[in-house]
Amino acid sequence: MTAMGKIIRLSLANIKKHKFEAVSLTLLVMMCMLLIGSSLSSSVGIKAIFQNVMEKTGSYENFILILEKNYDKEYLNILKEYPQVEKVDAVEFIYSMNTNYLDEQGKEQALTLGFITADNNARLESSPIETTLSDEEIAALEHPIFMPYTMQDTMEYNIGDTFDMIYGTRRFSFTVAGFYETMLFSTVSDGLKMIVSDADYHILKSVLTRYTVIAYNDNWGEGGFELAQSFMDECEAYSNCDVKGNMIFYPFKDMEYYINSSAEMVLNIMIAMAVVIIISVAVMIRYRIAGDIKEQIVNIGVLEALGYTSKEITFSYVLEYLLISAVGVLIGTGGCFLLTPVLLRMGELMTEHRGCGDAATLPIFLTGLGILVFVGLIALIRAGMVRNYPPVRAFRKGQGDHRFGREHFPLRNTKHSVHLRLALKAFVQNFRQNLGLTICITISAVTVVFSFIVFNFFNSGLDAICATAGMEMSDLHIELMPYADATELAEELEQMPEVRKATPTSGYNVFVSISDFNNEVMIPMAFSDFAVTENIFPMEGRFPEHDNEIMLTSQFAKVKNVRTGDSLTLEHLNVEKSYIVSGIVTSSVNGGVNLYITEDGMKRLVPTYHHDTIELYLEDGVDTESFRNVLTSEYGRSLSDASKGGSGTGSYEERIRAEAEQQIAELMATYGVTHIEYSIQTGDTVISGNSSGFLISAITDMKDVLQTQLGGLVVAVRIVTSILMALSAVVVMIILFILMESAIRRDRKEFGIMKGLGYTSHELMFQLACRIVPSAVISVIAGTAIGVTATGLLTSFIGVVRIDMPRVIVLDIVMLIFCFVCAYIGARKIKRISVYELMTE
Amino acid sequence: MKSSVLHTEKLCKTFSNSGIQQHVIKNLDLEIHKGDFTVIMGSSGSGKSTLLYALSGMDKPTLGKVYFGDVDISGYSNDELAVFRRKHCGFVFQSIYLLDNMTVFDNVMTAALALQKNSPELVRKAEELLRKVGISEETWKKYPNQLSGGECQRVGIVRAVINEPQILFADEPTGSLNSASSFDVLDIFTELHGKGQSIVMVTHDVKTAMRGNRVIFISDGAVVGEYEMPPYGTDDIKKRRDGLQSFLDRMGW
Repeated sequence: MTAMGKIIRLSLANIKKHKFEAVSLTLLVMMCMLLIGSSLSSSVGIKAIFQNVMEKTGSYENFILILEKNYDKEYLNILKEYPQVEKVDAVEFIYSMNTNYLDEQGKEQALTLGFITADNNARLESSPIETTLSDEEIAALEHPIFMPYTMQDTMEYNIGDTFDMIYGTRRFSFTVAGFYETMLFSTVSDGLKMIVSDADYHILKSVLTRYTVIAYNDNWGEGGFELAQSFMDECEAYSNCDVKGNMIFYPFKDMEYYINSSAEMVLNIMIAMAVVIIISVAVMIRYRIAGDIKEQIVNIGVLEALGYTSKEITFSYVLEYLLISAVGVLIGTGGCFLLTPVLLRMGELMTEHRGCGDAATLPIFLTGLGILVFVGLIALIRAGMVRNYPPVRAFRKGQGDHRFGREHFPLRNTKHSVHLRLALKAFVQNFRQNLGLTICITISAVTVVFSFIVFNFFNSGLDAICATAGMEMSDLHIELMPYADATELAEELEQMPEVRKATPTSGYNVFVSISDFNNEVMIPMAFSDFAVTENIFPMEGRFPEHDNEIMLTSQFAKVKNVRTGDSLTLEHLNVEKSYIVSGIVTSSVNGGVNLYITEDGMKRLVPTYHHDTIELYLEDGVDTESFRNVLTSEYGRSLSDASKGGSGTGSYEERIRAEAEQQIAELMATYGVTHIEYSIQTGDTVISGNSSGFLISAITDMKDVLQTQLGGLVVAVRIVTSILMALSAVVVMIILFILMESAIRRDRKEFGIMKGLGYTSHELMFQLACRIVPSAVISVIAGTAIGVTATGLLTSFIGVVRIDMPRVIVLDIVMLIFCFVCAYIGARKIKRISVYELMTE
Repeated sequence: MKSSVLHTEKLCKTFSNSGIQQHVIKNLDLEIHKGDFTVIMGSSGSGKSTLLYALSGMDKPTLGKVYFGDVDISGYSNDELAVFRRKHCGFVFQSIYLLDNMTVFDNVMTAALALQKNSPELVRKAEELLRKVGISEETWKKYPNQLSGGECQRVGIVRAVINEPQILFADEPTGSLNSASSFDVLDIFTELHGKGQSIVMVTHDVKTAMRGNRVIFISDGAVVGEYEMPPYGTDDIKKRRDGLQSFLDRMGW
């Protein structure tokens, strides 16, 4: 027989002998192959989404939204002067963060919406409309609407469905006429750009905030943030008004990053999980080879005596694991081709864009090759120990002439259970192998603890997420008309029995920048007294109390290396003032650019500043929706006017009043008129009114907004973390099963003797399971420490995820019990060892 | 009249391999008396070891019953048999079967702690027994591969008797020992028997069999003859050997 023939024969015999372990390892390798292969393969396709969507839509690369009243045509000329800027345009667009839509159950849900006409949209991008309706059918529709694909993919709208947009108490119904791909406002979290007819646009224009979209190309983001910053500075200098504070910037690089990063996060988690598995595979292979050599040592001696070289025996082990891995890799490769399209589709759903590239096959094959090389190397290194056993030593079961090892846990000192003592003895005797097990369980424990904390955080509902928002989460967020006195209205509202508290604060109308950090724009959160806030928690320092104090978010402080006590210069319309950082606060919203400041502090920088928003807290049991309607009719007639006026119902006087209110609303929204009085004589009747009831411009249920924006993320995180936890559990289970199987085979004789001495199978199973307890305890403690620290580090940039330590401790106990139960069940094969068989072998 | 410690009723043991059945023990009725040193002899393949394992609860009979006192143990589960063994039986094997990864002392204590709680008395007892069989204190921390065969078997005997079993089973205990070591080991058995220990031993060696007071001869799975002698050391050795040899000759040994 040739040397190769001998090696193959030995390998196959070994695989046949240890079928269970071979199958388990195959399963692990397959999982590893599946996770890495499909992640890498789909990653290529998902990374192509941005490029594909850009090409498909022919979209501009950068967008700047500016309030129409602040826009000046000269801005375009300023922009054109930049050498990087190749193409520029500006179109009209209406947009509001206070819009809702009716879901399937007819319940109002917050959804930021923007509207544009087809002609204007065609100037921004040229994406084709997908529809099953003919032009005639579309023309016949009263209110056709074309939506971004995500409305079809994630919110399950279909052509012909009705889409109801709610603004205040006013409802606008549309019929879905088609879907299209877009770059600007294409996601549920950012907002969605809807294409509507010119007539509908005109109606909406009188209600929603008007913007001008400045679109420009700068050679794929080459101009970057600096160009936009410089452009905005120039605009501000040109107009001498607060332009920067009223601009929303969507740069190329940010859009690219957000599209790629959301899907890549899941793929990276999958690869991380695969790394956990491959480490486990390596440890298991090392453990199994060591165990097998110990078990087969006499046979190895016989083979060597018969003329097999140690190299041939070593290669038989390498081949054995290569064959096992090859099967796993093959099945995994097949799985990759099935899983990759699913991941690609998942990537499209997560990015809310259709445009994945094809699955790449090269990464799959390279992954397979990499796994085989890795397994081969591990097996080669471990099986190399065969050369340490020449025939004579192998006949002596590998032991030298003398044994000087220290005796651990002598039984004469047994205090409680002999089983625990014997388990500890075995643990120490197999310390190196248990170290490998400890590493495997630790890695899995880190994954489980991390996943559990994140899962728990998101599973505990919006309250937990709100607690980290770093902004007030009142029942109703009321934005006032520019002329309204927030303090006065808040006092008035507090007199209402339904209201628990009304806190005046700042809205999103005035922005300031920090001169020390390249004029980075910040969103002020101004309160007269921070003691009245309920959801802003300083994690360091204290609230600002004086007019020269500010508080920053932990994200911002970390990135900019700012500490409590530092001094920073704020700027607004070329006015600069110094402030001391009095504290740091956790905040998971607005990318960490919240700036907490007192009302007096704001007035120091912006003398004309006054609160323009009220955070309203209702008494328990008050229906938010009903109370919002009460407020709208009482103080927010600008929101409800048209619904009455346009209905054509009611008495003649009522219809006149409604029409007057509609006119008032339009004048205020369009021209910034602050006060209107009217008198209309019709016959003998004089109908009079004024704009004093037009104090509220918008009412938002912030929890609703958060629900819509984070709902998808919450579900995705729950699914991913659940899968991670389940996968970790499966990996630990397989590892423990393999470990127990190997231990039983290796120590078969010892267990047989102990059975002969009267130890029952269950006692021996208990002993075996107890052997892994020290490893499991160390792993779970280490895993928890690392997991908690890692969670803290990873989530510190999005805010602080509250870690519920009692629950984590319960999880630790569950993990320990799980490990013990798996080991106990894995040791069940001990029942098959017959004492008689041992005696007569 | 001697009381019975163990008896069988129509004990059968059959092995099946690839559809071929081999009836090793056939309807065997046997009684082991309390305080006897019973020796089971027979030619190779006669079923003596199989009988020993069936009697001791190491293996289950195919048919028939095994009574320990009045209790039928033939229907016991494997775990029940294990508990039975730890409470009532001690074993000495031809291959000794010490636990290689444990010291001499721990080998003894492993058996002791299977039944009893640890106590200074138990440790003292283990030490006494080891000293008694000639295993010195410096050997207690050694591992089995550092001992001679005779030493190992003496440790094996201590391990078997540490729980003061009602019956001590021995399967060719001197089979792997040289003559000097065999003699020492047999002396221990004789001493134990002298103190009233019930012993059942399988052997094919006449010198070893002479240590018993009752010899049962098995052939083809059935008891074909029985020979009784006075306890070892209470009669003339030559006369004892001749009597036993004569019995064995009659049995076709």
